Amino acid sequence: MKPDLQFNFYQPTRVIYGCGSVRDLSLEAKRLGVERAVVVTDQILREKTDLVGRVERALGARCAGVYDGVIPDTAVEVIDRGAAFARARGCDGLVSLGGGSSIDTAKGMAIVLTEGGSIRDHQGSQALGRRQMTHLAIPTTAGTGSEVSQYAVVKDHEAHEKMHYADDHIVPDLALLDPELTVGMPPLLTAATGLDALTHAIEAYTAINRNPMADALALAAIRLIARHLEAATTDGKNLAARGGMLIAANLAGMAFNASGVGLVHAMAHVVGARYGVHHGTANAICLPHVMRFNNDELSARYRDVALALGVDVRGLEAEAAGLQAADRVAQLNAHVGLPQRLREVGVPAEELLACAEQSLSDGAIVYNGKFAADQELVLGVYRAAY
Amino acid sequence: MFVFPSDEWARAYKEAINQSPTYKTAGKDWTFGPVALVTKADPAIGIREDVGLWLDLHQGVCRDARLCARAEAEQAPFCITGEYARWKQVMRKQLDPIQGMMQKKLELKGQMTIIVRFVAASKALVEATQSVPTKFLDE
Repeated sequence: MKPDLQFNFYQPTRVIYGCGSVRDLSLEAKRLGVERAVVVTDQILREKTDLVGRVERALGARCAGVYDGVIPDTAVEVIDRGAAFARARGCDGLVSLGGGSSIDTAKGMAIVLTEGGSIRDHQGSQALGRRQMTHLAIPTTAGTGSEVSQYAVVKDHEAHEKMHYADDHIVPDLALLDPELTVGMPPLLTAATGLDALTHAIEAYTAINRNPMADALALAAIRLIARHLEAATTDGKNLAARGGMLIAANLAGMAFNASGVGLVHAMAHVVGARYGVHHGTANAICLPHVMRFNNDELSARYRDVALALGVDVRGLEAEAAGLQAADRVAQLNAHVGLPQRLREVGVPAEELLACAEQSLSDGAIVYNGKFAADQELVLGVYRAAY
Repeated sequence: MFVFPSDEWARAYKEAINQSPTYKTAGKDWTFGPVALVTKADPAIGIREDVGLWLDLHQGVCRDARLCARAEAEQAPFCITGEYARWKQVMRKQLDPIQGMMQKKLELKGQMTIIVRFVAASKALVEATQSVPTKFLDE
């Protein structure tokens, strides 16, 4: 253990796991003192699936309404409208249902409902100073880990930027993980969100704020993803694989909540904001290239990642083992059918310099385990991923 | 010796910042407005209410440094809040301010995405405190 090791670890979320566990939602809401909950979700889940109906039924008389205005990469207007909707219904708690965007929308709504104003007024880090509105999160994808994290990302569509919020007071009170709610997720979304979770785990394991608590969570997540991602992608009804991925994403969320993420996220946030590239896909494309970039300084860590991924690196020097980990991630991307290059997802070559410049403003870049906050360095990685 | 926090300390700090060639370079692109550093109330050492240090920073120059009330500090585009002991750790270079924000030891109201681009400037601001003879209230 490094003698100068310093960290803090705070994880207040109750996690409930199990097939059919959504049935307990009303009991959990009652336990948390919620009498009038607004469900925060998107129109697709509401109109194309029975998930919203199941949650409404589970909440029973505690359901005060459904706000289905969430869009991918949630935005200021989405959150402010949602808060007005919830306020008009006398809401005293939020139930987010969906992927990271729904959960982040509910985090933003909780802030606006507690503090007033617009979500735009509250950007910051640990600045809220008091408990926010109660939030029960039900992820229907297995990737973001937002159900246990202090972070929310909100897109400013006018500025083509993502705004970042970090606060212990927006960590959801409950994460309800029900594998049955994820069986309808299409294969590509399963793959992309799974790679998002893998990115969280690998970046948390190598971030500058890494620590033994987060390490344990990250490695456990990587092992579960190695075991379950391909099965969950090819057979969406495989509840064991779906459950394994939900737990993995949750563990990875707790890991990065404690240690942060890094350059992969800084790059992915930019191409997501500028060109609408799905966050998990952008992470998946960038991850192996960032691992190769970091490998000279973080090879011992990547060796552990390789082992957790099930790669036989016995007899290899750390640097070679680290490269094997990056190669294995690239193979996994290919096996689950994700794009391999930024050029395949609509990123223009002539914009890479601008992307590199913009990524320097992303908070994640300073957590990267190797110094990366330099335009030329980031441009090199973008070019490698192009 | 100047007591931290006090108007005298703030004036000396302004001079120290403006005499720092490192800050002049590292902060030359800072055009994002004043930064307020708030020390939380600590009656045991004589700080009865939250007190702000208003730093009007612009393009590598400190145009003004003075104490202010918490309410005014919160009007700054960037308001960083911490306990007295935390600011002391910062001034003693035991806590990097940006690391402090990332590790939840200091609270930031404002855009972290702008702050993280000025790591070198923040280090220069910390370095400038070394030129201010400081008396801490708890010593």
